[in-house]
Amino acid sequence: MNHTYIKNATWAPNGAAYDFRLSLGGCGSTPCIDGLPLTGVDAIAPAGTMDIPAGATSVIDATGKLILPALFDLHAKVEIDGRNKREAISRAGQAAQQGGVWGMVIMPTKGFVFDNAASLDFFRHAVTNRSVTEMMPAGCITMGCEGEQQAPYNTLAARGVNILSDGEHVPSNLLMLHRAMKYAAELGLTFAIRGDVPALTEKTYAHPSTTSYRLGLHGTPACAEEIGIETVLRLAADAGAKVHIQTVSTAEGVEIIRRAKASGKVKVTAEVALHHLLYTHEAIGDYDTTFKVIPPLRDAADRDALLAGVKDGTIDCIVSDHTPCIPFAKKQDFISAPQGMTALDFYLPTLYTELVKPGKLTWAELVRACCTAPAAIAAPSDDEGLPAAIPLLLFDPAETVTVSADNLPSGTLNTPLLGKAVCGGVTLPL
Amino acid sequence: MTPRKDLLTIESLSTEEIHAILDSATEMKAAFLRDGEQLPNLHGRSVLTLFYEPSTRTRSSFELAARRLGADVTTFTVATSSVVKGESVHDTIDTLMSMKVDYIIVRHKNSGIPAVIGRHCKAAVVNAGDGAHAHPSQAFLDAFTIREKYGTVAGKRIVIIGDILHSRVARSTSNILRRLGAEVAYMGPGPLVPPTAHTGIPRFTDWDAVFEWKPDVIYLLRVQNERIDTPFFPAADYHRSFGVTEERLQRIADLDLSIMHPGPVNRGVELCDAAMDYRNCLVCNQVQNGVVARMAILNHLTPATL
Repeated sequence: MNHTYIKNATWAPNGAAYDFRLSLGGCGSTPCIDGLPLTGVDAIAPAGTMDIPAGATSVIDATGKLILPALFDLHAKVEIDGRNKREAISRAGQAAQQGGVWGMVIMPTKGFVFDNAASLDFFRHAVTNRSVTEMMPAGCITMGCEGEQQAPYNTLAARGVNILSDGEHVPSNLLMLHRAMKYAAELGLTFAIRGDVPALTEKTYAHPSTTSYRLGLHGTPACAEEIGIETVLRLAADAGAKVHIQTVSTAEGVEIIRRAKASGKVKVTAEVALHHLLYTHEAIGDYDTTFKVIPPLRDAADRDALLAGVKDGTIDCIVSDHTPCIPFAKKQDFISAPQGMTALDFYLPTLYTELVKPGKLTWAELVRACCTAPAAIAAPSDDEGLPAAIPLLLFDPAETVTVSADNLPSGTLNTPLLGKAVCGGVTLPL
Repeated sequence: MTPRKDLLTIESLSTEEIHAILDSATEMKAAFLRDGEQLPNLHGRSVLTLFYEPSTRTRSSFELAARRLGADVTTFTVATSSVVKGESVHDTIDTLMSMKVDYIIVRHKNSGIPAVIGRHCKAAVVNAGDGAHAHPSQAFLDAFTIREKYGTVAGKRIVIIGDILHSRVARSTSNILRRLGAEVAYMGPGPLVPPTAHTGIPRFTDWDAVFEWKPDVIYLLRVQNERIDTPFFPAADYHRSFGVTEERLQRIADLDLSIMHPGPVNRGVELCDAAMDYRNCLVCNQVQNGVVARMAILNHLTPATL
């Protein structure tokens, strides 16, 4: 049998070096490191101890490179307004693979309304045929994400849906949500919802700050997120439902989740979008629409509290919140422009350059927050198990890439990285 | 001075430019007061007013200013145009540029639109008010009016009273006055005055504190109920809490302070009737100076179409 050997690769989470023997198609048993089952690997040995046959044709010397589980993204959108849906899926898949992501959960959007079997079938078919990356759709909480009528959860679950979300929308009908949670709890589904009170955040565009005052933009109060999180937690606790708090952006939001986890009364997990760990409201500068996101970029104290939340596990995962927007849309004024930025294309290099390299996050924390924890939340089983296996990637920290339109497979330009250099080269799949 | 294409905000101008525009407004005023005199500065140029929000005063003021400088003026009426059919701002501007427009005077409810237009076209773009962001021509006419009244802006104290949160006038006027060495304070209903930490401007909550601060000018903002869907304060309280009542007018008169207001005035809300007839009420001066300030602004800009 023809194997590929990887010599002397450093296992990123703990810094130990190993040799790996890879075999396409697998060999039955899946070896583990740190309890992680690794796809496509049939043997692991400490560096230098693996017997590599003299005639082996495919040997990669990975000295100086890191090996780690590929990332899993719990929150991405693929739709590109006005473009072909299959092409959008294909592009997002390429972007994710380039960024070191092997699988992701796709949020419903205007064009991808996952509230019926047909749209899930269309999506799955397109993913199978067009995407190099695994994509799992999040089913809608309400029909059309309109916030009123419950989607058919059992029908969605039968099509493999484990997570329910109304995407950018947050249901404001609490009676509906309470009943939906009670019903879906018995199906083992997880509600992924952002903390928000829509009445408080409608027609707001920035964190209330020097920036919102200077630019004359109405401020999005932090209390809206905090009230929203508390509300969702209390409903979920009462209904016995699993809840996943999306894109936490405020320090107090982190604190509320920390208290809820400590109380043990509610099955809660939480995420932060990568951009909320990297930028603050000042980045908006003179109406730079790239930095228009929901919830808005907040201040440095919030950013620091979010990172602390990731480090102590209050925030389970970092997500891309990848949102491609056509260039024309982002050229409009700040109020008219759509929200969101893309992140998948250089996801792991950005995480490395901005968080790991400066010492803000360890590799072990990164693997937990960007791979194992999100994969476990998205796992089809009810027992917190991991997906069957996670592929490995090689990461070369010495490589530097300048981001340009030519190396953004997602096909849109709404990323603050444009023109900037990021460190790290990703090899995926091995 | 490098030629400037657009006037979007006061922040974007150098102090030298601010002084130059104010000085040129002084010259423009002399010409303006000589009946019927038309200056040749914009002769052969085409000025277009593009108001996405209703406005009579600012628009007329700009049109008059452009005509006094010899320009051709076109009024683009949004309500009866392709805009209501869903045309994007970019496409509207492309259409207008095909008509060889040199100056576009724009007002829009969205903060930041004039900058988008300025980047997109060769015409000189003047921001005539964008959302709660900026209203630089108002700032110039206010600064000019104070300079005319007191000889200088430096060292004067101006308190701006009312809905600061939604006011582009408060932002631009406080900006220019501070750039010229004045001190500015804000007063108004709690939810409508952003914290000093965001604005860098002291914030009062009542008239006693205002009088104690010894202002030279009381600048009242219009209560813009048309912009507010959910009330920020009980409207019936406004005059009693923040308006110039007869009693406060007496105090203002005793101290010989000036009153300013960007108009249109809501009588009985921001100002009692008598305040409009007060000897130091500068509201009509502001309106007249609006034309000359706008002449100076148009004269200062250089479209990339030339």
